Amino acid sequence: MQAYESTFNSIEGGFRRLLVAVWDLSPAYYGTALLLIAAFIFRPMLLSEAFFWVILRQAAPLGMVVLGQSMVMRCLSIDLSIGGTVLAVNYIASGPYLSAYPGYLIVLACLGLGSIIGAINGALITRFRGSAVIITLAMTIISIGVVVAFARYTPPGDVPSLIRYFGSGRFGRIPIAPVIWIGFVIPAALALRRTVFGHYLDAVGSNPNAAAFSGIPHLRVIFLTHVFSGLTAAIGGLLLAGFVGTGSTDAGIGQDMILNSIAAVILGGVTFGGGRGRILGPAVGAFMLTFVFNFLTSFGFEESGKLMMQGLIIAVAAMIDGLKKR
Amino acid sequence: MRGFTVKLYSRSGLSLNTLALPVVLIIVLTTTARGFASWENLSNLSSQIAALVIVSLGQMMVALVAGLDLSVGSVISLVTCVIATEGGPLMLTVPLSLAIGVAVGLVNGWGVAFLGIHPIVMTLSSMTFLQGATFVWQSIPGGHVPAILSEIGAGQTMEVPHSLLWSALCAVALAVVLNRSRFGLHLFAVGGNSVSARLNGVAARRITVSAYVVCSVLAVIAGLYLAARIASGDPKIGASFGIDSVTAIALGGTQLSGGIGGVASAVIGALSLGLISNGMNLLGVSPFLQSAAKGVLLVVVICAQRRKSVGL
Amino acid sequence: MPSATKSHDTLETVVAQNVSKSFGSTKALDNVSIVGFAGAVHAITGENGAGKSTFMKIFAGVEKPDAGQISIHGRQVRFASVRDALNHGVSTVFQEFTLLPNLTIAENIYLGREPMSHGLLSRRTMLGRARDILERVGADVRPDWLAGRLTLGEQQLIEIAKGISADASVFFFDEPSAALNKTEVDRLGKLIAELRAQGKTIFYISHRLEEIFRFCDTVTVLKDGKHVATVPRESLDEDRLVTLMVGRPMQDLFPPREPRFGDVALDVRSLIPQEGAQEVRLQLRRGEILGLAGLEGQGQREILRSLVGAIRPQKSDIIKISRDGTASRLVPEAGVVSCLSMGIGFIPEDRKTEGLYMDLSIYENVALGRLRGLSLIRLAPGVIKLVSEIMERLHLQARSVRQPVASLSGGNQQKVMLGRWFAAGVDTLLVEQPTRGVDIGAKAEIYKQLREFTASGGAVLMISNEITEIIGLCDRIIVVRHGRLVGEVTGNSATEELLMEYALKETVSNDTLHAQS
Repeated sequence: MQAYESTFNSIEGGFRRLLVAVWDLSPAYYGTALLLIAAFIFRPMLLSEAFFWVILRQAAPLGMVVLGQSMVMRCLSIDLSIGGTVLAVNYIASGPYLSAYPGYLIVLACLGLGSIIGAINGALITRFRGSAVIITLAMTIISIGVVVAFARYTPPGDVPSLIRYFGSGRFGRIPIAPVIWIGFVIPAALALRRTVFGHYLDAVGSNPNAAAFSGIPHLRVIFLTHVFSGLTAAIGGLLLAGFVGTGSTDAGIGQDMILNSIAAVILGGVTFGGGRGRILGPAVGAFMLTFVFNFLTSFGFEESGKLMMQGLIIAVAAMIDGLKKR
Repeated sequence: MRGFTVKLYSRSGLSLNTLALPVVLIIVLTTTARGFASWENLSNLSSQIAALVIVSLGQMMVALVAGLDLSVGSVISLVTCVIATEGGPLMLTVPLSLAIGVAVGLVNGWGVAFLGIHPIVMTLSSMTFLQGATFVWQSIPGGHVPAILSEIGAGQTMEVPHSLLWSALCAVALAVVLNRSRFGLHLFAVGGNSVSARLNGVAARRITVSAYVVCSVLAVIAGLYLAARIASGDPKIGASFGIDSVTAIALGGTQLSGGIGGVASAVIGALSLGLISNGMNLLGVSPFLQSAAKGVLLVVVICAQRRKSVGL
Repeated sequence: MPSATKSHDTLETVVAQNVSKSFGSTKALDNVSIVGFAGAVHAITGENGAGKSTFMKIFAGVEKPDAGQISIHGRQVRFASVRDALNHGVSTVFQEFTLLPNLTIAENIYLGREPMSHGLLSRRTMLGRARDILERVGADVRPDWLAGRLTLGEQQLIEIAKGISADASVFFFDEPSAALNKTEVDRLGKLIAELRAQGKTIFYISHRLEEIFRFCDTVTVLKDGKHVATVPRESLDEDRLVTLMVGRPMQDLFPPREPRFGDVALDVRSLIPQEGAQEVRLQLRRGEILGLAGLEGQGQREILRSLVGAIRPQKSDIIKISRDGTASRLVPEAGVVSCLSMGIGFIPEDRKTEGLYMDLSIYENVALGRLRGLSLIRLAPGVIKLVSEIMERLHLQARSVRQPVASLSGGNQQKVMLGRWFAAGVDTLLVEQPTRGVDIGAKAEIYKQLREFTASGGAVLMISNEITEIIGLCDRIIVVRHGRLVGEVTGNSATEELLMEYALKETVSNDTLHAQS
């Protein structure tokens, strides 16, 4: 009798733990599950291997940007400059100024630019305590303004082959871009879990006051996350440029990136300063969003519908999070 | 027992710098930019700035409670398209626009005050949603604005451009609300210290929601004015107003951390920003470099404000 | 029951009957009954933690009693907020001001009860009335000034003006003279006398013996949340009052003291915690637990925090000598992070907002100590073993190390903070309120830990509002009053009386001193 009871209890306890784990899962996971089910019902042709790779490849630039954004939001800051960085990188990669140089140098220049933008953000935010929202938003405006102004005089052309390889090349059936993306995500996830920096990030996001009183160099941590975010934005921009193949001066790309990155991070369970999600949740969120927009396009949604959807998703994700906390 | 860390002598946000800036700009522009001091340009300036002034007044209200409203630009665009709807009588479209404004303000305010959503997330999402809705309503500039509105918006009475009247009316109305009403006083209280305000019987959350509603309604009014001025609907016309209004109020001395600001600050800041834009236009600066320059300006002005917390 | 005779009518206006209030495991008020009369000033006094503030907070609507009832003018009441209390004629002037810095004085006074005319604020009325009240209160300020430019003393006067302008019939003052100079205190006294003459009921919560004897008719003494005595002022003198306030059985919680001490660990040659504060000099030795005692808010916190850089001191000249003898300069002006990197640990009094990461696990909270000073890109050393050891050492009861800290009891949470610094391997601890909100059992364990820490060469500087804790635990006690170090006593020869005398009185009588040795 006792043996039965104890196994029953442990099953019940395990079941309850499972339920709790599912409820705790960030919305990205069950959102994706729901999407897959909806696709199965309404658009089964989307559930093919080829389409899966398409989504992954399309999600890679966003995924890279989300990687940085999730770290920044985790320490109670935000990076809205990624839109401008992506556009700037796009222009540098496809513009005439550097076209004489070999591809890898162009890549390095873009990475450098991204890091510098991130460093400027980080410095202004930690040193002058300017609002991260305003500063990074202003940075994006500056970047976009400068880029588009230059692009008027010297329009961009084709993207160098190296970058095109990264963005749209394949290795057999597998596209390179998501490999690069995942190649960053997995080490990043491990690093955040294992390194001193990762622990500090959790601490700063959880309680900035206590972080200072525990002797954690919280300003340096925040600065570094911003530099990293600038870097990932540059990589995302390169992947996007490589995917499209030619330069673009559509500032809408930037706004798109910013909104989607915030949505993906919130869906991934990271809220300002903590939450259960870390790196994997937002990555799944990036995948989910890309899937959603492709799904909607297959229904005939246009740009306008997409925008409304973007707004709704962020709002609903934030509201669910807000209600959970109450 | 701890006292206030920094002495505060005035809550208007005005200072020698904020007041000197427009004066200096006027002097510089009069001497360097040709055609600045002409009646035509000044009248143009007035009509260009009017919308910004009106929106900045609203943004200032939200900033007083340490908030931010980036959705104002989309509200403006939507309103111009609604007004310019073919066959839409003003009797219908104006109340509809106001209703939209109130609804947007309520949603923004509720999300921020009751659900604890950060203003940037909340208003970015409403901004995007409304942007999409605007494109659904009307995807390209066009439409027809009833003549009465055009006249009210773009005409003049006895040499005084109506744009000036619109701005002045809104400014005066808001000044009365802010300085003479209980709501205004409570708004400042919530911005000064929401905990203390609550202890003194102020309904902090309701005040916050009201601030967002006022902001959206002012954006609607700006949209009505713009619809009159361009005599059509343009789904992209409002795009820069969100960030411009924030820059304007910061230039005028309103603290984004709450509690300090006022009508004068919003108007003077909008004036300064308008002068800068006007000047850059006259100097032939590309519009894209102009927005970049405004971005730099915003960074400088924000970093000059004092703040305790780091990050958001 | 109180049996005070009044000069006017003996109209009972305020009655508290069998009021009790607990916060977690701490019983702040235990079955307290107090009566207030019209036209009388009633002092409520006692040591730190006696329950005075809680009593007032119940009348202010900030706290609700767990048991018992309060009534005003014969009607039983239960206040929901400060405004609610004010509407019933009860004005409460706290130590923590609720002034808005960006509102004018007049606006602050009338916030929530603004005079209106035709739907708009009647500013002229506000200014006019405010001016009158400010005159009455004796504040040399203008009603259209912003509150944010006032000095601490002026702010306190405005808080009092708020209460007066509300025309309340009952006034509660919590340490009203704390930030006032002598002339201002005189004015306050005159004001209180006026209110008394008008038939108001006044409760005066204070430690200041001079004022109690100057202004008050009746004195109630609380101790550990219990009512000790309520007597007419005439029947008291200072000594008798102090005796009523102290004298509780010492609990057997404290580990025996060490007789030997080592070299100096922290040599504070000069420290001025803030602008206008007194210069402080002290030395902390290895193996010693040094306590800064005294009444609340006398500057102990500022001294401690400016030592560690949490407050930027005006001036500092501090040498820190580590266990192996290396001496280095401690520069608090460089900030907390830099000070903590020198082998000092800091435990703030408010663990929820300043000390712990509430949503992180025990493991993460403690392990952060071990990570201190390590390079950012390093792999964090797996410290499960270390954390488990520390948890065992501290007798930290928890289901697992992965439990979020927010779910722990107060005592266990405090242990986590200690554990973090043990993991960091510091040799000097600066502790604020080591056992605030901690149950008896955990208190004993924490005391044991602190003693073991010093026994192995550590040094502890602590501040505490619990006088028994200071006496029981500390090897040496320095009493702080108005930011000055006014007396030093060894732990062995310290008694409550002696410490309270240093803390309360201008001069300590020789009799008391002799009685100790």
